[in-house]
Amino acid sequence: AESMAPESVSPHVLCYFFPCSSWLPRRVPLRESHWQSSLLELRTSLPVRAQPKKKKKVDVKKEQAQKERMKKKLKKLEKAAPELIPIEDFITPLKYSESNRVRSLPGLSPEESERRVLLLKKWCLFKQKQDEAEKKAIKGLVESQQEALKELRLESEELYEAAIRRDEELFPFERDGPSYTPPLPGYDPPEGKCIDITKVYTQ
Amino acid sequence: DVLLGCHRSYRSRPTHGIGKFKYLLPKEVPKKRKEKVQMKEIDAGTEYHYGDVNIQMTSYDLCLVEHFAQYVHRLCNRLSIRVNESYAMPTKTNEVLFMEERGSKMQLDAVLTTHQRVVQIRGLSSTFAPILLEIIQSSQPEGVHLLMKQHTEADFKSRLKSRPELEELLAEMS
Repeated sequence: AESMAPESVSPHVLCYFFPCSSWLPRRVPLRESHWQSSLLELRTSLPVRAQPKKKKKVDVKKEQAQKERMKKKLKKLEKAAPELIPIEDFITPLKYSESNRVRSLPGLSPEESERRVLLLKKWCLFKQKQDEAEKKAIKGLVESQQEALKELRLESEELYEAAIRRDEELFPFERDGPSYTPPLPGYDPPEGKCIDITKVYTQ
Repeated sequence: DVLLGCHRSYRSRPTHGIGKFKYLLPKEVPKKRKEKVQMKEIDAGTEYHYGDVNIQMTSYDLCLVEHFAQYVHRLCNRLSIRVNESYAMPTKTNEVLFMEERGSKMQLDAVLTTHQRVVQIRGLSSTFAPILLEIIQSSQPEGVHLLMKQHTEADFKSRLKSRPELEELLAEMS
């Protein structure tokens, strides 16, 4: 139906129009009328290399608008001050403050209270001795250190200067706390794994 | 006339201060404004003393680590070492699963919470540092892991909430 495809042809042209398609074998596509600008199907045109100008403007504008929106959003987010992660240790869970249950303790006998007071006094004395020993130890350490440095200074100024300087390899310093018992020899721990289920807070 | 009719009391006259009444009212406490969390400047220290040093104590036992942190803080006060801050790091929760002896299923053993307290000191002299370390180590309780290191910005940032939206936008922009 290519030959008979009705284009926007004015009627008075039709009389001059002589479809030559019926004369020639149908192999080469021909322009049916001078209104038909291309040899392609209806409503098609040859692909053009240059991008139509209309589209470019809209794209650039859209991109700019998007960029500005993003910048505004960024400014707004940056304005908000960063918050510290709340520490769960310091938040009492509600279940401990809601219930009304109160513990009723039995009364203390006078001997018991006497014993407790004497124990407290003994503990106080023990702690005081411990604290004093610690203070004495610190004082002793500092004094001996100062004496050693004094002697070193008399020996050589250079070494003294080197000793006074700070030690870069001291930090970071790590140490595990002591354990009640030494590790068991030949202990085979069961297989297992640790999953971190800490709550992640986001702002 | 308003200007001629006013009776101003002079400082020499007995009527000085007449009409004042605000001193009779109870003092108004100024509204506490929310302090913005800002990173304080990190001191790098000189050749003869260390800058900002963090003493981090970690343990599974909350009371123990809390008391040890208090002890260290008081010790620094007593030895006149300046303490910048004494804060707690967020608690970490771990689920411990172990494999049963006869079986392939993982069984839940316990839920452990790791607590960490930090005491930040400044101006520790290079000669006194080993002494302080010795004292702290001698009174370190069982199960408490001690770590002493220089304070960095990353340490401060780890206390803040993460902002994924901000990071996303920054990634998109660049």
